[in-house]
Amino acid sequence: MTKPASDGDRSAGRGARRIDWRVLALDDVSLTFNAGKANEYRALRNATLRIERGEFYCLLGPSGCGKSTILNLVAGFLRPDSGAIHLDDREILGPGTDRVVVFQDASNALMPWLRASENVEFGLSLQGLPKATSTKRAIQYLDLVGLADHARKFPYELSGGMKQRCQLARALVLEPQVLLMDEPFAALDAITKRIMQKELVRIWRQYRTTVVYITHDVEEALLLGQRIGIMKRGPGSSLKREIVLAEPYPRNITDRAIAAAYVEAEASLEEEVGATLHAH
Amino acid sequence: MRIEPRRIVSRASITLLSIAILIFAWAGFSRMFGIPDLVPSPWQTFAVGREMLLNGTLMTHVAISLERVLVGYIAGCIAGIVIGALMGRIPLIGRLADPMLQLVRPISPVALVPLSIIWFGIGDLSKYFIIFYAVVIIMIISTAAGVTSTPMIRLNAARCLGASPWQMLRRVVLPSAVPSILTGMRVALGFAFMGIVAAELIAAQSGIGYLIMQSRTLLRTDIMFVGLVTLGILGALLDGCFKVAVDRTMRRYMEHQVNV
Repeated sequence: MTKPASDGDRSAGRGARRIDWRVLALDDVSLTFNAGKANEYRALRNATLRIERGEFYCLLGPSGCGKSTILNLVAGFLRPDSGAIHLDDREILGPGTDRVVVFQDASNALMPWLRASENVEFGLSLQGLPKATSTKRAIQYLDLVGLADHARKFPYELSGGMKQRCQLARALVLEPQVLLMDEPFAALDAITKRIMQKELVRIWRQYRTTVVYITHDVEEALLLGQRIGIMKRGPGSSLKREIVLAEPYPRNITDRAIAAAYVEAEASLEEEVGATLHAH
Repeated sequence: MRIEPRRIVSRASITLLSIAILIFAWAGFSRMFGIPDLVPSPWQTFAVGREMLLNGTLMTHVAISLERVLVGYIAGCIAGIVIGALMGRIPLIGRLADPMLQLVRPISPVALVPLSIIWFGIGDLSKYFIIFYAVVIIMIISTAAGVTSTPMIRLNAARCLGASPWQMLRRVVLPSAVPSILTGMRVALGFAFMGIVAAELIAAQSGIGYLIMQSRTLLRTDIMFVGLVTLGILGALLDGCFKVAVDRTMRRYMEHQVNV
């Protein structure tokens, strides 16, 4: 059983941590794409969401429900039409190294011309850290994600799972407050996916960051999340309900509490998808 | 990266065979024509070429043409990459410049030769201008295309990793555009060679184009052929050097870029 991280006791220790915060909050966030055009789409309507520091939060929903939109808003890639996103009282106005994203499409997210270690160093080198320091830290984080033996390989030489490990290391090396993951394992085969989920839980417990994890896979959400937010279908989506799961890790989908939550979540999702089917 | 010796042999022999076919076709054509003064045979051409090599005249012209090509080419590449990157990165500039580019693009460098002579005289400057013009248009287009095709996810990744706008350009966008830029540079090198001859044919006192034109007044088709062969060899040689240099220094940017 894990508890929210208490303080900055990260092993790497890069001096003082950023201001402590308690809650990542979306308040009444609405966003419409292509407003006023023929292909106008209202993605979110008065969406409200609270994520606590240190939490593993899964956002679950059918495709097109706006869960990636929420991630892009928290990352600062998008700005809401109305409402606001705050880390405590600090409003999120753009991208920052305190909120790093792990993307599903690793081939495009990693720099194909950089070796695995250079990709991990990338963010540090942008800050102008001395080469020796950033290399040392990169190796440390490659080791954390189990990629130390492949440090000199280019992304195209890595398997799908390894690429995601590399992305994970590249994000964690910056010691972000929030790790944003956009269906990171959806393109992996079933076995690799299972291994990566276990690895992610291990890393999260060791590193104690806050994770916001986007998925459309009910099983995955229940195996990973301490809290699972289920989204309404789009357009004009918002949070439908939340399931709290205090079960310890590693979890198994056949555990009683998990299985019960599965039935609950599945029914809730089916309602949404069913409503979509009837609407057409 | 080991290549089997047998494959090297066969590849080299096919190259030689290809050149031999070209020379024999030329020889056959010359014999068919029957008038050596109109179509000199390869052997005749090589003999004159050898003579011109030995007395240094050929090298003088080659050096002059090559210098003009390189100056115009390098300047055109630098300007084209800068302008193309600006167009690709700043949407307003891109949208503003694109119609201009579409209007200017069909104007062949050759069409600008008379004008450039009036503007810049018959010296090197007018040649630089023609080659610069030929190169810069291609480089603007290929750089802008490469820059705008950088995957959105890669840009977003760099943004959340803390890249400033300048770091974004230098560390993400330009490396992503390398394949497109280098393809443009290779095409532009060919155009630079076409441009130099056009520029030297009309008003020049030196260079390979001048050599060809001057031979016309003397009815020396053999010297013309020496000029043509020299152009061919020079172009192929430079292209080969370009390929090797790219392979040596830019390999990591060329391979496995999944964009486009």
